[in-house]
Amino acid sequence: MATAPYTEDARLFSAARGACAGQEVEVASNLSPRLRKARNRLLIQTAIGLICDLLLYLALSRLLGPAFIPYSSRIAGLVLLLETVPLLAAERINWAKARQGIADLRIVGTLTKSQLAHVSARRIAMTDELHDSRPYIEVMREQIGDSLTESEREVMKVIEQIGLLIAQSKEQRAKIAHSIKSGKELTESTHLRVENNKQIIAAIEMQMQEQTGELRNSFEHIENLATEVSALTPLIKVITSIAQQTSLLALNAEIEAARAGSAGRGFAVVAFEVRKLSVLTTKAAADMAEKINWTCKKVDSEMAEAKASLQQHESDDAMTHLIGDLSGMQQDFNTNSELLLEVIAEVDASYEESVDRLSQALGHIQFQDVMRQRMEHVQEALVEMRDHMQSMSARIADFGWEGNFDHTFKQILAAHLNRYRMASQTRTHHAVAGGSSSADNSRPAIELF
Amino acid sequence: MAMKILVVDDSVTMVLSLKTTLTMNGFEVETANNGEAALDKLKSGIKPNLIVTDVNMPVMGGLEMIGKVRALPGFRFIPILTLTTESEAAKRDEGKRLGATGWLVKPVAGNDLVKVIKQVLPGA
Repeated sequence: MATAPYTEDARLFSAARGACAGQEVEVASNLSPRLRKARNRLLIQTAIGLICDLLLYLALSRLLGPAFIPYSSRIAGLVLLLETVPLLAAERINWAKARQGIADLRIVGTLTKSQLAHVSARRIAMTDELHDSRPYIEVMREQIGDSLTESEREVMKVIEQIGLLIAQSKEQRAKIAHSIKSGKELTESTHLRVENNKQIIAAIEMQMQEQTGELRNSFEHIENLATEVSALTPLIKVITSIAQQTSLLALNAEIEAARAGSAGRGFAVVAFEVRKLSVLTTKAAADMAEKINWTCKKVDSEMAEAKASLQQHESDDAMTHLIGDLSGMQQDFNTNSELLLEVIAEVDASYEESVDRLSQALGHIQFQDVMRQRMEHVQEALVEMRDHMQSMSARIADFGWEGNFDHTFKQILAAHLNRYRMASQTRTHHAVAGGSSSADNSRPAIELF
Repeated sequence: MAMKILVVDDSVTMVLSLKTTLTMNGFEVETANNGEAALDKLKSGIKPNLIVTDVNMPVMGGLEMIGKVRALPGFRFIPILTLTTESEAAKRDEGKRLGATGWLVKPVAGNDLVKVIKQVLPGA
């Protein structure tokens, strides 16, 4: 950076005088007027003395007239003596003051030289520092810009994820709605089938009841037949008894025929045949009794088993159970369908709640936009600060600069008040910089006209 | 048939979040990133049932757009909601004068926004 040598530039003194407030410089600043005052006083005194001398000389020449001429040179010498002595005395005093001033000036010159060197060094450092603020501010501004870009990118990802989540939920909801429809159709179909099955089973049960009744009638007929067959047993006893008596009678006839000799021989043969026939009759009756007894026992045994089987079948009531089971199944199915519908309704309500909550969450994401706008304002402020500091740097390097700025930080800061869009920005400004907001904060965040 | 909403905002995050919110609440959404782009869409034949717009945007701001939309044939009575960070009363009054239906200061919760939309949009 180009800087002027401080020792030979008179304007530097003026710049240094403005920049420094030390006692030495104050002394230096008073010295020049003092010297000027002494010089002016000397000139005035000399001029007044000469004027007085002239006036005195003229007055004496007028008063004395021709008598003045012989003494004119003496009078002139006297007047000059009378004027010069006090003048010399006065100039002695002035000289002493001037010497003192010069001595002061030497001291102050030495001090000012040192001070100016110091000020110049500080000025150079300050100029460099102000100039170097540019990359610093640029970096900070870019950092903010990058942060905004990054946050925007991440927020976009969050919103996209929420969008995907919602799309999936919507798809699931559609599937569930489809399931509801299918479930209802299945329930109705099953209900119809079960009803049909129940009717079929009821018809089968009725038919079986009829068959059971017929079977019972058959059992009664068989039992009656068996009873009738059993009733034959006494008759067989009668036959046996008759056959036995016939046999005895035939034996007696044989004995009597033997006694009758040859006359009774033919009768003996008949008696023998009768006795033989009665024996066969007795044996046949015994066989018949035995078979009737066996048949009756067999019928009793079979009937007992058939009755037991019928009773067992009647007590099982399998068809009734089957219908009951089907009704139970239908009831369970209906219950489960209702439960499923309740679950689906809950899922649906949960979806609505999710939509509500996600809507709220997406509303909160608007903070990113609010923050972005505030940060963009800060970025603009950083650019202003950068430009102002660059301007300061250039002006400090300029020895002709009188200390005025186009804008001051105070003015730049105050100008921001007119550029804020949010009440929160104005509040923060006043909280830090002081002052009160004239903004109307009473109006609601949502206002319908 | 779903109601159509035109969202006008220069912030991509705002556009995406509003689109997501409104879509999941059953609306069809069209978007534009400034007032001029929105006007072009309207002139090309897109007829939304409602417009949600930001105020401070490049190229053409929301308030200027509202004035121009009201001048278009068929858009005199369409509800227009402003959704903005702008909270200055003078701007609100200007928006009202130009024909805005409502003024919403960001951030507004999505469900509140949907309530307001349903309030100003008959049949939504």
